[in-house]
Amino acid sequence: MSLALLFTAVLYGIGWVRIRRLIRTEHDAMRLACFMAGLAVVWLAIDSPLDTFDKLFLSAHMTQHLLLLSIAPPLLLLGQPLLPLLRGLPKPFVKEGLGPFLTSPACHRLSHWLTSMPVAWLLFAFSTVVWHFPPAYELALSSNFFHDLQHACFFWTGVLFWVPLIQQGPGKSRYPSWAPIPYLLFADLVNTVLSASFVFAGRVLYPSYESVHLGSMSALTDQTLAGAIMWVPGSIVYLVPAVVFAMRLLSPERNFAEEHVRRQPKTSSVFGQQLLRPKWLPPARRFAQWAMLVTAVAVIADGLRGSQVAPLNLAGVLPWIHWRALSIGALLLIGNMFCMACPFTLVRDGARRVITPKLRWPKVLRSKWLPVVLLVLYFWTYEAFSLWNSPSATAWIIVGYFTASLAVDSLFRGASFCKYVCPIGQFHFIASLLSPREVAVRKQSVCGTCRTHDCIRGNETTRGCELYLFQPKKASNLDCTFCLDCVKVCPHDNIALLPVLPAKTLVEDPYRSSIGKLGRRNDLAALALLIVFAAFVNAAGMTAPVMMFEHKWHGRLGPHAMPLVVGIFVLLGAVAAPMMIVALCSAFNRLVIAPDRVLDSTRRFVYGLVPTGIGMWVAHLLYHFATAWSTSLSFVTPLQILSLDAGLLLSLYVILRIAEQYAAGIRGVFSIALPWAAAALALYGAGIWILFQPMEMRGMVH
Amino acid sequence: MRRFLPHCFFALLLLAGSQALRADGTKVVLQKQAGPYLITLFSDPSQVRVGRVDLSVLCQKTDDQSTVLDAKVFLHLTKPGGAEIVEFTVPATHDAATNKTLYAAHLDLPTSGKWRVKVDARRGSDEASVTGDLNVLPKEPLLVTYWPFLVIVPLIALLFAINRRLRKGRELRHPRARL
Repeated sequence: MSLALLFTAVLYGIGWVRIRRLIRTEHDAMRLACFMAGLAVVWLAIDSPLDTFDKLFLSAHMTQHLLLLSIAPPLLLLGQPLLPLLRGLPKPFVKEGLGPFLTSPACHRLSHWLTSMPVAWLLFAFSTVVWHFPPAYELALSSNFFHDLQHACFFWTGVLFWVPLIQQGPGKSRYPSWAPIPYLLFADLVNTVLSASFVFAGRVLYPSYESVHLGSMSALTDQTLAGAIMWVPGSIVYLVPAVVFAMRLLSPERNFAEEHVRRQPKTSSVFGQQLLRPKWLPPARRFAQWAMLVTAVAVIADGLRGSQVAPLNLAGVLPWIHWRALSIGALLLIGNMFCMACPFTLVRDGARRVITPKLRWPKVLRSKWLPVVLLVLYFWTYEAFSLWNSPSATAWIIVGYFTASLAVDSLFRGASFCKYVCPIGQFHFIASLLSPREVAVRKQSVCGTCRTHDCIRGNETTRGCELYLFQPKKASNLDCTFCLDCVKVCPHDNIALLPVLPAKTLVEDPYRSSIGKLGRRNDLAALALLIVFAAFVNAAGMTAPVMMFEHKWHGRLGPHAMPLVVGIFVLLGAVAAPMMIVALCSAFNRLVIAPDRVLDSTRRFVYGLVPTGIGMWVAHLLYHFATAWSTSLSFVTPLQILSLDAGLLLSLYVILRIAEQYAAGIRGVFSIALPWAAAALALYGAGIWILFQPMEMRGMVH
Repeated sequence: MRRFLPHCFFALLLLAGSQALRADGTKVVLQKQAGPYLITLFSDPSQVRVGRVDLSVLCQKTDDQSTVLDAKVFLHLTKPGGAEIVEFTVPATHDAATNKTLYAAHLDLPTSGKWRVKVDARRGSDEASVTGDLNVLPKEPLLVTYWPFLVIVPLIALLFAINRRLRKGRELRHPRARL
């Protein structure tokens, strides 16, 4: 809860700063302070030590209710949270996601009705009275669910109650200026009757408090104290505003709502953009590469010379647990940070000072088929030979990686290794389709006037893009290693790491520089499909039922058959299953899409499954990362399910949007999207099944 | 509706925080007086099931009901009957408790049925020991445990469908309007 409140505070803070950059009023600081104080009161009520005493002391529980009902709501509303929270959210989400709800007449009518004084007052009084009846109160004390419901009712009816009193702007009151006075006084009357019933009851109203009481205070004394808390501070909360409204009524000439508004000149950029300014990025990248190189050397040294017990060795833990989880986290929060900090290219860059490559990468290999094969091999060897459990093998793999990148890029021009060989890089390219940042041009018009095209050709001092991505035609993170050469070389300072809507590039299929159209590339679709299904195969391979099944066959086929068993499992799960599913979906689509467009659409829809696959990778890697740091795992499964949820929702959205490009009416769209949505749902179901199985824990060096 | 948006946001926050509301001492399992102490045993969750459970103990002096904070408290749990008798002893400490007036222990109960619980509290020469029954229900299916996280998908899909419908309605009403 503390984290959620912190998140809200940050969101409000961002929105507040953004609004203040445009417009300033004299009450800005007060609003900020009120909202933050409101959040602090919510925290105090439900996540502070006060909460731990609510089942022992009625007085503590009443204090909690007073805070939720009468203190937090007005403070939060005084912070006028609507605009700051909206401005704190991503603009496209507010516009496309919330916009239709905000502008809907039905929703307007509902909100108008709920916040009318009679309705808000009745809900408030009803909730307060009903929850204090002994059976309802006892129910809340005996059940966590009803206890939460009780708190939620108090908070929300409190919010509704205070909304008509704290209007969102000047001149918006729907009621005569005297109306708040009886409104508050009658609310105080309800409060007084309830408080008096506690104080003068003469017996304990809630038996649960009778069974346990601390110190010398009896349950009855505690109940009297609870009544006093409810009566005195509770009444002050209603009476003070009533007095304020009465004073306003008696001073009609002054306009209390009037505010001095001052427009601000447009300011340039926020902190994040300052941090991601082009001039900072290349040196930062070089630093990250050196750090990764030093880490890689340490991992190799420990892997070859250190303990061969994986959890006690850097090579058993850093690459397989921490690095994998952190790199996918960085991919989804920022962008392709691993390729940016890749130590292999640092060594290659060093070698190229001595050796100048002359050859061009063979034409026959200029596709993603080689990395697809390498990835299948990797997934097989990882499980069949338990690479995660063998520090020396891990060290040799890293050495082999350095050697291969050095050999390939010493012989062939450009970044041939990154583009056509590196399996890790391909994984990151596909996952980075969901990244929120992209190396892109700021203004296309500037590129229109550019005659040198340094971003791809380079200049005397700096090379251009070695992956042949021409910036004005680059349309996603595919094949982009975030090397930032283009950023450094652009003479117009027109290329930067810019925000982009995650998965937007999955929906559209423009011509992409050096890639072409996704709908025309079999190799890229196969790569995406492999990465999606491998997420499930890789995670399932660590669950008890699958491992038992593998061991059963291992026992039947002989002592050296494990690699064969695992190989069959990987081939079935990561190669045969996706091929069958795609063929099935494609066959269904053939019924509604013109035959000449079916293949193109199939290749496009494959990318719709990418978010579900990445969701599964995150869920799986999160498990290993969490078990490496903590033994308390109660938070892991919910986070894993949330990751899969997010993946599935994004998949369904992408599938729907792609389907809209192949059919016009809603029926046509659904009939095209249905098989692919079913495939995404099947993957989600498989993912949930995997998450619910007992999973093998791996290395845990702290 | 506009003024409801932040409220919806907080509704989600309150729901998200519902796990944080769990604290020690949800339900009284037993309360007995023994020697100089009054011992109260709480369980969280209130309906104990196979798996993780938080058992917490409140130790009070019988004469003035003041809380005893420096006792050594142990929980002995026994599952009688059946082919195999399951038995274990765990210390209950303040460190494991959210409410520091309690002594708590987090246990993984392996089987369902009626368990015998014995609470031992020792402080210097004073000793108290109380016993009672703890009814442990079978493990909840994981789908039931995690249903709030699984309904998110249909819920958001429904909101998305409403969103699209509202957009379409708006486009029909105002053909040139842009959201």
